[in-house]
Amino acid sequence: MSDSRQAKKILIVEDEPDVASYLEMLLNDGGYETIIAVNGNDGLEKLEQKKPDLVTLDITMPESSGTRFYKTVKADAELSAIPVVIVTAVTGYGGDPYGYKKFLGQLKNVPEPEGFFPKPIDREALLAKVDELLA
Amino acid sequence: MKDIDTWLQTHLFDEVPVSICVIDRDFRIVKANRRFNNEYGAATNRQCYEVYKGRETRCENCAALRTFEDGRIRSRQEQGADRNGSQSHYLVHIAPITRSEGEIQYLIEMSTDITLVKRLEQEKREAERLAAVGETVAGIAHGIKNVLMGLEGGMYAVNTGIEREDDERIARGWEMLEENVTRISQFVKEFLDFAKGRKAQVSVSDPNSPVRKVMRLFSEKAAHANILLTVDMQEDIEPAPLDEDAIYTCLANLVSNAIDACLLSGTKRSYVVMLSSREVDGTLIYEVVDNGQGMDYEITKKVFTKFFSTKGSDRGTGLGLLTTKKIVHQHGGRISFTSQEGEGSTFRIELPRDGLPEPGTLEAAPSPIHYEV
Repeated sequence: MSDSRQAKKILIVEDEPDVASYLEMLLNDGGYETIIAVNGNDGLEKLEQKKPDLVTLDITMPESSGTRFYKTVKADAELSAIPVVIVTAVTGYGGDPYGYKKFLGQLKNVPEPEGFFPKPIDREALLAKVDELLA
Repeated sequence: MKDIDTWLQTHLFDEVPVSICVIDRDFRIVKANRRFNNEYGAATNRQCYEVYKGRETRCENCAALRTFEDGRIRSRQEQGADRNGSQSHYLVHIAPITRSEGEIQYLIEMSTDITLVKRLEQEKREAERLAAVGETVAGIAHGIKNVLMGLEGGMYAVNTGIEREDDERIARGWEMLEENVTRISQFVKEFLDFAKGRKAQVSVSDPNSPVRKVMRLFSEKAAHANILLTVDMQEDIEPAPLDEDAIYTCLANLVSNAIDACLLSGTKRSYVVMLSSREVDGTLIYEVVDNGQGMDYEITKKVFTKFFSTKGSDRGTGLGLLTTKKIVHQHGGRISFTSQEGEGSTFRIELPRDGLPEPGTLEAAPSPIHYEV
């Protein structure tokens, strides 16, 4: 990414400090600016304040969960345009790593997330997805 | 109508699908219906304890004796053996045959075989146990994935730090590696404790004793956090066979969770956690009520499953409620809750006296223990 352009901002919504640090390093190294939110409520606040270009979202978090955050964002006329990449350890029946993505797909009036990565992540693939969404 | 009455008088005793016998004050069976004789063999003139249970002396805690004394009708679940020696469970209803004057001479005992129901109950518990094992395995995987990602993050930081000769990044990475190795060790230890269980020490004890102990342990912590911890004990609860330490663990888990729910709640108000104990219709009831953050629908579905924790990595592994549930099941009871998001939660443990284990030491099992003898 060229330095002449202003770096794009990514909001990392993640309650596990080490996972948040990892994503922060990874995305910073990929040329992005990052902001960390520690739960869904914090995430919504920072989303309004900082207007990020993309969000990475954990699902199981204290206070407001990732699902609620996702539904709120995708139901908001303005915010719904921001791509959301879900990074989660939640699995479906039988340990299906994409079970949660399927669950979201079944909800009414909720679009599929722009990206979905089961933990632990394939970092090359995550960065490639982020690059593609922010290109 | 007369025909019907005659039929009832002459046949009902032998035709009802219930085993009926009449015993005298020496516990001798003086009359038994056909069903009774089919079930237990020719019974007339034998002692009831011999027929029902193959005993040579009267049962301890004999319900018939008490009914002879006070004339009250009693129902209880018993275990015995039928004429072929197979174990049976039956529900026996004991009623006095009263005369207008003097003491009760005879009792009628009506028993219904509930062996099949008991077997189904046990099968259901076994199925639940297997389901819980499956959920637990899935839960471990979930917990480990986060730790694994922390470890990968640490490795990434160390590797990229070395490439760039960035000491600060190497140090940060190393710290992440250490933290997550510690976490996984803790995780494994707690899981093994949970899986291994401990020998249940059941003794007849005061059901309020664990309540007092929990109050002593948490009053300081609650006061420190500006939370009012109150207790509402029914003082005259009769002693009951309990694994006191285990019940204490349950109440401590629930009170600790309630305090956390208050601490995690964002709104400003006076927080109250109330622990109560009482007995209603032969069931011991413990309740923990808080006005903390409560749970949304999504969370309520996961409360008793997996290593589910909403408290973040530093506060819990999510084993507390799973352990609590296991202990409650060991006591033949059930645990339930209601919760309103933003308003608080109520957790309730119900232990019916007739489901409580026998006093003594019970071998630990890797999952909910069955107390059938």
